[in-house]
Amino acid sequence: MPEIRLQNLRKDYGAVTVIENLNLEMAEGEFTVLVGPSGCGKSTTLRMIAGLESVTGGEILIGDRDVSRLEPKERDLAMVFQDYALYPHMNVAKNMSFALRLARMNKADIEKRVKDVAATLDLTAYLDRKPAELSGGQRQRVAMGRALVRDAGTFLFDEPLSNLDAKLRGQMRAELALMSQRIKKNMIYVTHDQVEAMTLGDKIVVMKFGEIMQAGTPEELYRSPANKFVAGFIGSPTMNFLDAELREEGGVLSATGDGFSIPLPEARKAQLQAHRDRQVHLGIRPSSFSEGSGGIAMPIILSEYIGAQSVLISEIGRQRVAIEVNTVVPIKSGETREFTVQGDEVHLFDPKTEAAL
Amino acid sequence: MSGPSNKTYDKQNPAFYALLVALVLMAVGPIYLMLVTSLKLNVDIMSDTSRLFFMPTLRNYETALCDFLWYEPEHIRRCDPTFGRALTNSLIIGLISTAITLVIGTMAAYALVRFRFMGRDVVSIWTLMMRMVPPAVLLVPVFGIWTFQFGIDGSRGGIILVYVALNLPFVIWILQSFIVQVPIQLEEAARMDGAGPFQVFFLVVLPLIKPGIAAASIFTFRVAWNEFLLANALSDRNSRTVPVTIVNSLTEFDIDWGVIMATGMLLAIPPIIFTFVASRQIITGMTAGAVKG
Repeated sequence: MPEIRLQNLRKDYGAVTVIENLNLEMAEGEFTVLVGPSGCGKSTTLRMIAGLESVTGGEILIGDRDVSRLEPKERDLAMVFQDYALYPHMNVAKNMSFALRLARMNKADIEKRVKDVAATLDLTAYLDRKPAELSGGQRQRVAMGRALVRDAGTFLFDEPLSNLDAKLRGQMRAELALMSQRIKKNMIYVTHDQVEAMTLGDKIVVMKFGEIMQAGTPEELYRSPANKFVAGFIGSPTMNFLDAELREEGGVLSATGDGFSIPLPEARKAQLQAHRDRQVHLGIRPSSFSEGSGGIAMPIILSEYIGAQSVLISEIGRQRVAIEVNTVVPIKSGETREFTVQGDEVHLFDPKTEAAL
Repeated sequence: MSGPSNKTYDKQNPAFYALLVALVLMAVGPIYLMLVTSLKLNVDIMSDTSRLFFMPTLRNYETALCDFLWYEPEHIRRCDPTFGRALTNSLIIGLISTAITLVIGTMAAYALVRFRFMGRDVVSIWTLMMRMVPPAVLLVPVFGIWTFQFGIDGSRGGIILVYVALNLPFVIWILQSFIVQVPIQLEEAARMDGAGPFQVFFLVVLPLIKPGIAAASIFTFRVAWNEFLLANALSDRNSRTVPVTIVNSLTEFDIDWGVIMATGMLLAIPPIIFTFVASRQIITGMTAGAVKG
């Protein structure tokens, strides 16, 4: 279980540069999630680590070994593919043991390992079936099992849950989280779903256009996003962005915009001095609003009652915002209610660079 | 039951059935004639009177296969090994040329589909263009090259070689379409599982294109089995195939129609068996369950 390092990694497809200069370190036994919108280079990065895609420049180090020019089989990896990629002409047991048979392991050991893994994945009853006779969830488990029997140093997952329906995805996500706790191995997981990223990752790497926007623990990314992109990507429902200006009145710095003025905490004042009287982008998470008198009066345009929570669509000035509140009784559309926002829960971004202030 | 709605097929035009019967007669007629003639003695075949009524006999088959029989048929004074030998030649040439064609063809098709190299598309199209050349055009150059340059005329090997060359383009072309359908993720998964290029090909790709291989093998075997022109030019007495032998047995002194028809019937059997065996491999949906559709 060595650490993995990507150094100045570069990938060109002909004249198109997909990844220009990627640097990333993954600690031993860490569950790293690469997340980002489609086309951000996350899958390409994973496939380069896997050895399925050639490296244009830079190095991939697993432990102290430079593997960037090695064949996949020489890298000590196992991979789970997005569309399962099960061998249709082999039954489940054969599918799972394929790698072991190629490695010429002795039959008794193979059988034992396959049985053990099948038991943990609830596949014992299906060992004789062909992939075509399995449901989507079962196929996904076989794909996992095929990687697990390998006992490789590093596991790669390429959007393994994206083909499952919502309920099954939730289930498999939990199973995956349990599995990663049980076997402490390097795991690199690619997804475009930020919920998966947040729930599974020890470390999340948010990517966009082949660049790393921010890498950190789920909490770091949620609490202190490095830029507007990460702030908008992580968290559900997504963060509200409002145009505002930083103004100082009576010694209190506040973010003021169309229909609102939120006083900022004293602690941030010194740091924000340089931006006084300038335009900023204000980011407020839907859950940062709390109902209370003396706040901003906001009309409820649409109320989505989910149960314990409601997501309200409202307006501040002329800008639309989403609000997430705990509800016992559904809030009706058309009402006007007052909401307050604490100054230490807002995020400020530079309108030009989009970096957090 | 008697309602007109569920009996629409009653209203078919009688001319349709007449056409159907005519087509069936055209298809089955010659085979029937061949079968009947093969069961007649030469006296019956040549006589003008007893066309419908005759004593069926297996003598013609005994004559054709006298080499392989465990007993000696009493009507044969001297066993002529020609037909038996031709049958053996045809089988050997057909099977071996099919095997070689498939081995080379699958690999070539795989390379054309999966590997990127200069001139790939040109090669892909030209393999099929080669198939458009009629064998008759090849006859003279092939005869010349085989005889004077290679010196492999009159041998089974020479005929096998020319059949492989003849069938390869079509086999490559048909297998390409099957290989394209094998999801690339399967090959990647196999590579991740530690398979080398040959293991990927033999353990993953080959089992999945079995239907294509079966179809290609039926085609190849039948072409090799029926081919006359090139075999006639390239074979000698000992390497003649059945079609060549049948034609050569039509001499101006003696035409043994009974034996020729019996050989014809025997000639039809191997391709039928081969087709039945191979067509069992033609199953659709081989890649079902591999990847999410």
